Amino acid sequence: MTFRKSHPLIKIVNSTLVDLPSPANLSVNWNYGSLLGLVLVIQLVSGIVLATRFSGHSDISFDSVISIYQDSNYGWLLRLVHSTGASFFFLFIYLHIGRGLYYGSYIYPEVWNIGVLIYLILMGTAFLGYVLPWGQMSYWAATVITNLLSAIPWLGSILVEWVWGGFAVGNPTLTRFFALHYLLPFVVTALVILHIFYLHLYGSSNPLGVSSNTNKVSFHYYYSVKDLYVYFVFFFIFMFFTLKYGYSFMDAENFIPANPLVTPTHIQPEWYFLFAYAILRSIPNKLGGVLGLVLAVMVLFLFSISSTQLLFSGTIYSPLARLTFWSLVSVFFLLTWLGSCPAESPYTEVALASTIAYFSLMVIMCVWPHVSTYLYLKS
Amino acid sequence: VILLTNQLKMGKGFGNLAYVRNQIWFTLSPYEQRPFAKAIKTGLPNTLRRITEEAPYVLPPLLLGYAIYSWTTSEAHRRSRKEYQAIHGGGH
Repeated sequence: MTFRKSHPLIKIVNSTLVDLPSPANLSVNWNYGSLLGLVLVIQLVSGIVLATRFSGHSDISFDSVISIYQDSNYGWLLRLVHSTGASFFFLFIYLHIGRGLYYGSYIYPEVWNIGVLIYLILMGTAFLGYVLPWGQMSYWAATVITNLLSAIPWLGSILVEWVWGGFAVGNPTLTRFFALHYLLPFVVTALVILHIFYLHLYGSSNPLGVSSNTNKVSFHYYYSVKDLYVYFVFFFIFMFFTLKYGYSFMDAENFIPANPLVTPTHIQPEWYFLFAYAILRSIPNKLGGVLGLVLAVMVLFLFSISSTQLLFSGTIYSPLARLTFWSLVSVFFLLTWLGSCPAESPYTEVALASTIAYFSLMVIMCVWPHVSTYLYLKS
Repeated sequence: VILLTNQLKMGKGFGNLAYVRNQIWFTLSPYEQRPFAKAIKTGLPNTLRRITEEAPYVLPPLLLGYAIYSWTTSEAHRRSRKEYQAIHGGGH
C-alpha cells in the first residue's frame, strides 16, 4: 500500500484532502468551507503574533495598539489583517449558512448542529476581541452586551457583576476577555475538526440535492486545485480591502480611548452583528429583546430536528421555498441596515416588522420540507 | 450518535459507494477535447439563461427590500422636517 494510505497520521490527511470521494458537480458555494478554514488560520496566526505585542491592561491596552502600529515591524498590517479577517470570517460564514439553507445541508444533523455551535462561539470570540483595543466603542459595546445578562430573572444582576469582575466594565473585564478571546479560537478549531469528521461520514452534499455516490471524483486534484484557485481570488480581494479600505469597517469612535463618563451618541456593533442588534432593539421589552437576540441564532438549531426523515430538503425543488429563502436574505439585509440606524421612528416600526418577518420566514423554511415530505408520502 | 466501527473508516471510500450494474458510461478523455470549446458561443447564452431562470425568485424580494429601505429613509427625512414636527410634536 502506498505511504500516504498506510502511515497512521498521513492517512488521515490523505482521507481528508487527497483520496476523499467528492461529488463531481460541486459549485463555488462549496468553497466557503475551505475559505473559512483559511481565514481561521489567518486569524490564529495574526492574532497570536499581535498578542505578543498587546497588553491586556485597561491603562495601556489602547496605547499598546498604537505601539503595534508605530513601533512593531508591519504591526499596522497585522492589525488590519486581523480586523479585516474577522469581517471576512463572518461574510463567509453567512454565505456558508446560506448555502446550507438553500441546498438543505441540515439533513446531516451532527454537521449542522456543530456548525451552528461554531457560529455561536465565533460570535462570542468576535465580541471579546472587539473589546480588547479599549476604545470608546469597545467599552460601550461591552457595557451594552454584558448588561443584557441582567435581563435574566433572579440571577441576572449577580451574573453581570460576576462577568464584569466588579461593579462596572473595567480592567478585570478586559483581562478575562483577553484570556477568553485567546482560548475560544482553539475551541472553534476543535469543533471544526469534529464538523469535518461528521461531514466525511456522510460525504458532501451537491447542488442537485440527490445522492452523488454514482458520480464521485477524488478531492485531489479537482477540488484541491479549485480551492487553491479560490484562495488566490480571496487573497486578492482580501489584500485589496485590507490595504485600501482597512478602516472602512472600523467605527470612528474606537479611535478614542474608552471613557466611562462619555457615552457615544450611536452605540453600534460591527456590521456582522447588526441584524441581531436590530432584533434586540425592536422588541420593547428588555427580556423579550434578549430572547429575540438569542433566538435569532438559535432558530438555526430547529432545522436539524427530524431532518434525517426528510425526502425533500432545501429549496431547489420548491419555487415557494426559493422565494422564501430570498425574502429571508432581503430581510437580513434590511435588519443589518436597521441595526445601524438610530432607535427612533420610522426605523423602530420597520425593524419590528422585519423582526416578525425574519422569524416567520425562518419557521416557514424549517417547516416546509417536513410538509412536502408528509404530502408526498400521503399521496 | 452511536459510532459504528465501519464509520470510523471516515465514511465510504471508493469501491464502497454505490451498487451499480448494467450501466455503460461513454465519456471523452480530457486529452481528446478542447477545454474551452464553445465557452462563449454556448457558454454566454447558457449563463444568461441560468440567470434569467433564477431572476423571478431573486429579484422581487430584493427589490421589495430596497423599496422598504428607500421609503423608510425618505420618511425619516420627512419626519425630521420642521413642518412635520410642528404638527406632530418634535424631539425624542
